[in-house]
Amino acid sequence: MALQTTVEQAAGRVPVTIVTLDGELDGTNYQHVIDTVQGIYDAGGRHLLLDLTDLSFISSAGLVALHTSLRLMQGDAPPDPEYGYAALRAINEDVDAGATVSNVQVCGTQEGVQKVLDRTGLGGLFPAHADRAAALAAF
Amino acid sequence: MLTQPEWRHRIPAELERLAELRSLVREAATAGGATRDAVDDLVQAVDEAAANAIVHGYAGAPGWLELHVAIDGPDIVVTLEDGAPWFDPTVAPEPDMDVPATVRGPGGMGIHLIRLATDALDYRRRADGGNMLTMTRSLDRRPKEDA
Repeated sequence: MALQTTVEQAAGRVPVTIVTLDGELDGTNYQHVIDTVQGIYDAGGRHLLLDLTDLSFISSAGLVALHTSLRLMQGDAPPDPEYGYAALRAINEDVDAGATVSNVQVCGTQEGVQKVLDRTGLGGLFPAHADRAAALAAF
Repeated sequence: MLTQPEWRHRIPAELERLAELRSLVREAATAGGATRDAVDDLVQAVDEAAANAIVHGYAGAPGWLELHVAIDGPDIVVTLEDGAPWFDPTVAPEPDMDVPATVRGPGGMGIHLIRLATDALDYRRRADGGNMLTMTRSLDRRPKEDA
């Protein structure tokens, strides 16, 4: 199963760009997600909602994509996408620093995907919401 | 003597083919009676091990991967073989957050996830070159690290 990525705009208290990931996020497509989020930031987007309702699998490469997306939306430069342990370290540093951000929200995370996020500490960085409405209200 | 069900699948060492391995593991583990939680863990472990073999083992060179899945009593046993240079992930150190990332190198997060998703890892060098990694997980209990 490949990954379908769709990008939409939502108007609320602030303009929010919604990226929906449908399928499996792995080593073949994680760079596409990074590029998509980089494009959103470059175009002026500052609030990002990742809708993971239909994401059924995430590999370590996918975790790198999510963490990189979080960093990109803070205006950071994109890190080396092959950074492996460095990603884990960066995630832990961000968790230790209480770096939960308000301009990136996640919704609809399936149980299996949430387990992987939690095992690596990434779950602690993303405010998770049951659905889009709850996530949009959090911006 | 009852014959235990088993599954075998061989693919070229290409990231684009990983979905096939994940699909086979999901099908086999489900047929073998694994819980949803166990199925997810095994799919994760196989994907990470196979991706490491492709990206870091073969490092762009052509190659192959062979997956074997079998039910062994209360456990599911997944064996992944490849023909890449010898590499033993079971002795790879846990992530040392004090070591600079450039020294640690890439790929470590996958091994970390494999350990968390399985109960036991066994590594052997293949006699004719290459690697054989056996990953065992209970069909229903959570891995102890995650309990």
